[in-house]
Amino acid sequence: MQTRYYKVIRDLTSDYSKNFMLVLAIAIGVFGVGSILGSYSVIKREMTDNYQGTMPASATIEIEGQFKKETVDKVKQISGVAEAERHATLLARMKVGEKWYPLLLFIIDDFKEKKTNKAFYISGEQEPATGTMLVERTAFAMMQAKEGDELIVKTSNGTQQKIKLVGTVHDPGLAPAWQEQAGYGYIKLSTLQLLGETQGFDQLRILVSENQYSTEHITEIAQTVANQLKQSGYEVHEIQVPPPGKHPHQGQMSTIMTIFIIFSFLILILGSILVATSMATLMVKQIRQIGVMKTIGATSSQITGLYLVMITLLCFIALVIAIPLSKLAAAGFYNQIAVLLNLEIRNSSIPVWVVLLQVGTGIIIPLIAASFPVVRGSRISVRVALDNHGAHQQSFQRNSWGIKFSQVGFLSETFRLSIRNVFRLRSRLVMTLGLLAAGGAMFMTALNVSDAWDENLKKIYVQRLYDLEVRLHESIQADSLLGKIKTIKGVSGAEGWNYATTSFSKSNAFEVTQTYPDKSHGSFTMQALPVPTNLLKPTIIEGEWLNNNITNDVVLNQSSRGSLKVGDMVSLNIDGQATPWNVIGFSEDVGSPAIAYVSLEVFSTIRNMQGQAKMLRISYTDRSRENATIKNREIEALLEVENISISATFPVWLLRNAIAAHMKVLVNSLLAMAILMAFVGTLGLMSTMSMNILERTREIGVMRAIGATPSKIKNLIVWEGFFIGAMSIFLSVALSLILSTYLGRLIGNLSFRTPLTLTVSLLAIGIWVLIILLGSYIATLYPARRANKITTREALAYE
Amino acid sequence: MNHTQTKNLIELNNVSKSFTLASGIFQALKNVNLQIPKGQLVAITGKSGSGKSTLLNIIAGIDKPTKGTVSINGIQVEKLSESALATWRGKNVGVVFQFFQLLPTLTILENVMLPMDFCNSYPKRERRERALALLEQVSIKEQADKLPSTLSGGQQQRAAIARALANDPPVIIADEPTGNLDSQTATSIFELFSALTRSGKTVIIVTHEKDFSSYFEDVIAIADGEIVKQTVPA
Repeated sequence: MQTRYYKVIRDLTSDYSKNFMLVLAIAIGVFGVGSILGSYSVIKREMTDNYQGTMPASATIEIEGQFKKETVDKVKQISGVAEAERHATLLARMKVGEKWYPLLLFIIDDFKEKKTNKAFYISGEQEPATGTMLVERTAFAMMQAKEGDELIVKTSNGTQQKIKLVGTVHDPGLAPAWQEQAGYGYIKLSTLQLLGETQGFDQLRILVSENQYSTEHITEIAQTVANQLKQSGYEVHEIQVPPPGKHPHQGQMSTIMTIFIIFSFLILILGSILVATSMATLMVKQIRQIGVMKTIGATSSQITGLYLVMITLLCFIALVIAIPLSKLAAAGFYNQIAVLLNLEIRNSSIPVWVVLLQVGTGIIIPLIAASFPVVRGSRISVRVALDNHGAHQQSFQRNSWGIKFSQVGFLSETFRLSIRNVFRLRSRLVMTLGLLAAGGAMFMTALNVSDAWDENLKKIYVQRLYDLEVRLHESIQADSLLGKIKTIKGVSGAEGWNYATTSFSKSNAFEVTQTYPDKSHGSFTMQALPVPTNLLKPTIIEGEWLNNNITNDVVLNQSSRGSLKVGDMVSLNIDGQATPWNVIGFSEDVGSPAIAYVSLEVFSTIRNMQGQAKMLRISYTDRSRENATIKNREIEALLEVENISISATFPVWLLRNAIAAHMKVLVNSLLAMAILMAFVGTLGLMSTMSMNILERTREIGVMRAIGATPSKIKNLIVWEGFFIGAMSIFLSVALSLILSTYLGRLIGNLSFRTPLTLTVSLLAIGIWVLIILLGSYIATLYPARRANKITTREALAYE
Repeated sequence: MNHTQTKNLIELNNVSKSFTLASGIFQALKNVNLQIPKGQLVAITGKSGSGKSTLLNIIAGIDKPTKGTVSINGIQVEKLSESALATWRGKNVGVVFQFFQLLPTLTILENVMLPMDFCNSYPKRERRERALALLEQVSIKEQADKLPSTLSGGQQQRAAIARALANDPPVIIADEPTGNLDSQTATSIFELFSALTRSGKTVIIVTHEKDFSSYFEDVIAIADGEIVKQTVPA
């Protein structure tokens, strides 16, 4: 090996603490990028594979009545249709403890020859006998049961029945049951009849044979099928074409991943700033040696090469540490996300491009960051290099504002000197401030956004002034019932509403929606309410709220507005009938799918069912979850006495929990990012401070020689750290406001189609101030101790 | 290269050097003319700020003159580029510093081998042998595998001289090489320099030490950037 490379190796091994900082800085960036992109790539691939593996139906056609077996065979003959299958979905209720939860029942025609939306077998029976059911693996927790237990189930028309849970399946097309706060069961038609329902298979699921990912093509084929069904005498109710090939939670997933990726690259940039700062200081220490090497014959390019080899070695060490760790973290991440998305990770290999990207960023970015100080250092003339004595006053101007500021009368001499020291190396100060400000801004942004989420969740209670929604099996004359409900102690209000699934009428004959098979994701509902209502207070962002009970006015929420404007006329289908509406306003609802709000009176007139209600909304004086649970039970008891058949009940707290669960992963990961940021920021402050002091060892010796006590010197250094920290806090708060606004807008729009309101978390600012103050204290402690430990003679001789 | 042009190894013609400082332009050297023949031990003396270090730096190719020409061993030094100058200096001028300036993370032996590595001057296999021979010449061969910080000042300066000799340069330049050493060690260092001139090297030393004037064949006194006296001691 050439002699000069001995120098590289010895330099690397002689100053462990500083080189460790460099390696750590690079490693953190590489780790962040690797763990996030690694988990992202695995999840993206597995989500598609899992979902595609279920053979999700391209379209579902719903009819009144039921499909005959021959019809299914006939549909299979239609060109463009690859597969067709009868199906039915029913929303029933299950009793867990003393509470009723929604139970989504999938009625399967042929368990053995399932063609679409297949669920993967896990354990127990493959085909449930009459009176038993298979359960989606995530639903057992909601049911508080296990395989072999019995579950009390009630449908709208039937009585309570005990159904045995005989098998477990995994259905990647469904969100985890705890997220939806519902149960999922798979039964035969005979079991449905046992439960007291008379309905048959009213859905036809088809798979198209080509262009599987084109919504237009699928809709076209589905309409051909619907036309044929119509000709055969079926009354087609609705065609459902969910976004092809897309998991119902794909949007939510993209949101999370977008944020992850933004943050991981920010971390890498922060890491690079750290590397650049550290390299710059390293070079300062090496400048005299560069001068010596040049004197004995080294050329600039030899010197540049020498230091670049050194950095490449550091990068290599960082990569060796960071890549395996990032794989571990990625595994932790994708397993967590897999749980949230109800996925089974079948192939956990992280694609090669992620590792290549890590290697690329982990070497190229630090090399670029380091190349500036290295090239500058190696170009410096021999004389300047030999004259170099570390930090000196060349960049310090007599009338700079740093000096003026430090001359403020009441400051002590030590503090004045601290302030001036802060401004000695401007470029390093700028880098340190940049690092701390960015770290702080991201820390606070993470907490701000997570707070904004909580605020948004609270809006659920502000907008929804009811505490219980009861969906009835059929429309009823509700007046006397509402009167009875209102007499229950603790009930503050009750209203009878109505609802129907709807869609925008197009020129074509059938109603086409984007609803997923779970009937919740992608659905569009018309809600008819008494005007004025006391139980809903939507946030109107444009136009006005419903105020006339006899006009055909409609208010659309953010998920249904599309590109419409106030004053537009829209045509909405109700039961296949197109009805004209005048758009008077737009609302922003937290946690609602697409909804069109209309007057109950107008709705009833259109459907010719005056005075009837299909949905009850009830509010309580005490809105706590505990009270609501008790009151909900009383109301259900009353309805049972009145012999009113319920199809589902939705307590508002349940909805809040469901939404909170949906975004749990986001909030948690933001917090994880915040902690990482705080770590990187403190690390940056520590390395800068220790380098600042290291450079001034000789100067400290001089101060000691002229009588400065160790405690004076310690104060001087600590104040310097505090001062840099304090400056960074102002910058980071300002930066965090901008970042929070943009990130809140991005997350809100991607997940709810409404921006999150900017929330400033005072706790976040408080924690960050504490971290910075504590961090600067700790960061200066070691260099201060070191400065005081070496003898005055050593300090004076220090080069 | 034309060696017949002059019998002097080093020739400075009308060399001036000025620095721009905050207080204005400082004239460090003013029209200096100087000839030094081969194989001499020459002293440059003068007060602090007189320009003696600047003169030394210009002879060593560490600094370039603002005006005038510098010819060493027949080469017009001021015309070389930075990188050509570095290689030229490595092969033609050995520099010894007051504070030794050995690279702290390399052993003594490696410090001596480093110039050969940078200038690619001797075959790789011979470098170690050569470095050891040089260390023997300066009597610290047994310290070869130690780091500079473990050596005494005198030993470090010997190592620095060995390093200066690594590429067998015709000129050795030393800036107050004994300024940091006790008088006994200083004497032995001057003995070493004297021995080098006997083997044909030209040694130029900036020094304050009057006690060693007997060693010098020529003393150049400098004040305010001008050569005030060039004497050959008796």
